[in-house]
Amino acid sequence: MTTALEPALSIRQVLTLERVLAGEPEVVAGAGHLDRPVRWVHVAEAADVGVMLSGGEMVLTTGVLLAGDEDKQAEYIRSLHRAEAAAVVLGLGRAFPAPPDVMRRAAERYGLPMVVLHRPFPFAELTEEVQSRLVRRKFATVSLSESVRTALTGIITAGAPLQRLLDEIAVHAGCPVILTNLAHRVLATAGERPAVDDVLRDWERIARQAGGGEGDGWVRAELGGRGEHWGRIVLCGYRGDSPVGRLLAERAAEALVLHRMLGTAVHSWEEQSAQSLLTDLVTGVVPARRLLPRVRAAGLPVNRRAFVPLVVRDGDPVVLDRVLRLLGLPGLVAQLDDRATALLLSLARDQDAQALAAHFATRLRKETAKGTPVVAAADARTVWEDVPAGLREARHVADAVAEHGAALDLPVVVRLRDVHLRGLIRLLRDDPHVQAFAERELDGLLCGSDAEPDLLAVLRTYLATGRNKSRTAQLHHVSRPALYRRLEAIRTRLGVDLDDFEQAASVHIALLAHDAQQG
Amino acid sequence: MSRVVRAAVFQTAWTGDKESMIQVHEQAVRDAAAQGAHVLCFQELFYGPYFCQVQDPAFYEYAEQIPDGPTVKRFQALAKEHGIVLVLPMYEEEQPGVLYNTAAVIDADGSYLGKYRKTHIPQVKGFWEKFYFRPGNSGWPVFDTKAGRIGVYICYDRHFPEGWRALGLAGAEIVFNPSATSRGLSGYLWQLEQPAAAVANEYFVGAINRVGVEELGDNDFYGTSYFVDPEAQFVGEVAGDKESELLVRDLDLAKLREVRDRWQFYRDRAPGAYSPLTAP
Repeated sequence: MTTALEPALSIRQVLTLERVLAGEPEVVAGAGHLDRPVRWVHVAEAADVGVMLSGGEMVLTTGVLLAGDEDKQAEYIRSLHRAEAAAVVLGLGRAFPAPPDVMRRAAERYGLPMVVLHRPFPFAELTEEVQSRLVRRKFATVSLSESVRTALTGIITAGAPLQRLLDEIAVHAGCPVILTNLAHRVLATAGERPAVDDVLRDWERIARQAGGGEGDGWVRAELGGRGEHWGRIVLCGYRGDSPVGRLLAERAAEALVLHRMLGTAVHSWEEQSAQSLLTDLVTGVVPARRLLPRVRAAGLPVNRRAFVPLVVRDGDPVVLDRVLRLLGLPGLVAQLDDRATALLLSLARDQDAQALAAHFATRLRKETAKGTPVVAAADARTVWEDVPAGLREARHVADAVAEHGAALDLPVVVRLRDVHLRGLIRLLRDDPHVQAFAERELDGLLCGSDAEPDLLAVLRTYLATGRNKSRTAQLHHVSRPALYRRLEAIRTRLGVDLDDFEQAASVHIALLAHDAQQG
Repeated sequence: MSRVVRAAVFQTAWTGDKESMIQVHEQAVRDAAAQGAHVLCFQELFYGPYFCQVQDPAFYEYAEQIPDGPTVKRFQALAKEHGIVLVLPMYEEEQPGVLYNTAAVIDADGSYLGKYRKTHIPQVKGFWEKFYFRPGNSGWPVFDTKAGRIGVYICYDRHFPEGWRALGLAGAEIVFNPSATSRGLSGYLWQLEQPAAAVANEYFVGAINRVGVEELGDNDFYGTSYFVDPEAQFVGEVAGDKESELLVRDLDLAKLREVRDRWQFYRDRAPGAYSPLTAP
């Protein structure tokens, strides 16, 4: 990270100062370079002025040592140019009653702004005026830099989340602020919502420019440390002076690097970004249409696509992300809760969504070292506004099969049609009648001091396998006689005949309702 | 009229042995085909480590005959099975002691279309390629595949604009640039040269770089493979810099005509003035 540039007045600004205007300044050369910054003002009558300068100075002279010697006049301008002076100001008077042609032509040739004062005044007044303004600006900039740094550091040390930090940066910048990774994927934004949305709408075009494009007032600062860059912050349309904008961006970048290095967040910025997007989509707190610019800016292709909503139960989000990359499938991944991860795939419309979802699920199983993740899906959506409902459906399916993956012999991708009755029960789980029914039917197993959780689990497997005794014994690692004893205990406690279809169905529904309430 | 080619590139890390490396790439062919990709290009010297970090004759054994070696045969069968065009950058032995850094091109019906041999061979620290390869002598072939007219320009070649141009003149629509390039050395050029070549020659470029640090040296291969269109715009996102990744992108070849109708670089070039370029 570079240090902030020193603030400066431009030549043009100096020439509009009241004290200077009184001297009737006239630009006689280099008029195209008046926006150069003036770092300092220096009075010099010496012919070899260049050796005293270090660049950026506005040099004031009466030309008393140059009068009558055209070679010296030309050399004087040349030495100013070599020393990278900002401009030369010549007070007309005894030495030069009119602008000297040789100096003017040389200055024009070198692109050095040359100003003559038709009513010269003591140079000390000019240096005092300009110097004091420069010092004030410098002090104001240092002061701003410090106050921004203090504010941002305070937020970081208070352990505030990334969004809080970005919001504070946006307050100082007064414009939308975008945080991206190196792939130009937008990770977080701050600023007034309509202005941010305007920027995001155009983000794809900006991000796809190979050089990383910027418009007027776009100020960028790279984020990185230990020799590696990993993102950038962009102030989009900063309206103040550009040196101040750069200073703000650099302070913001410092703060973001610090936030990331000290960060205790479990999730990376990329994960947090996807999480906030998918959570907003699933919950419906933000209308889907309004989320579209954010989704596009997060790198998900959205034009003429089919969206496949998936929810994976017991899958590691890191592995999910890796599998997506290996398969080349564009998608957003975000953990919804401890066990459920949402995944929104974006496919071209000619692609086979069902086949690709199955391809993904198969590979996910292969790449998962421990356990078997359950992949639940809703049908692909070609209308963006239908995506939230699709995600909710996939989550519902994933929840419905939560505890029974092994017993149910599920397909590699589970859909609503695969969860049958348990899907319906899941939807009705909060109904008091259903709750009362479940408690009544299972009372013998759930209540009393001798309640045995093992019997409940055996009952669950027995019913889920379609009352298959050998499969149940196998899944519970018990012998068949041992299983018979348990089933007999269940019959006694519940007072039902499990061989009777209707009674078994009733207990099964009650158990599904009980499990749905627990989940 | 739009003509969309679904094109893919695959970047990956060295697994530690040739056979498992080939299997990883076979899986990538299946994965790309599952997405309906028409063409897939692998990284430079795809089934080996980037052995040019050292100068050791033991690595000569990675070279195979093209097209009669086992790896080309294996991928010809796979290309046919999945109906996908494959570009296989690999170490070629024409005869003992005559070795090239080559890319074989297989059509979607499994037929062998030909090869490009890397023309410009570097010899700098970490990239001791002159030890392993003769400079290529294949000229600038463009292959008429089922997925369009395809050219290949391998790694270090990309620093030389002449080959890019020759491929454009020969009618290439997509040029693949399989590479092995290291963080720090070329990072700032990686997203500059190929987009510039795509603009100057008005075609699509697919750039592929391997990932990871291998046991033979300190080179940190930074991936970030991508496709870029004739306006130097990335097609979709650039790949990550550390992980294996398959990139599948829809390239609308109609854009090539659209851009060439707007910018007549081929009409306005002045070959008569370029003789100094070919002076020895």
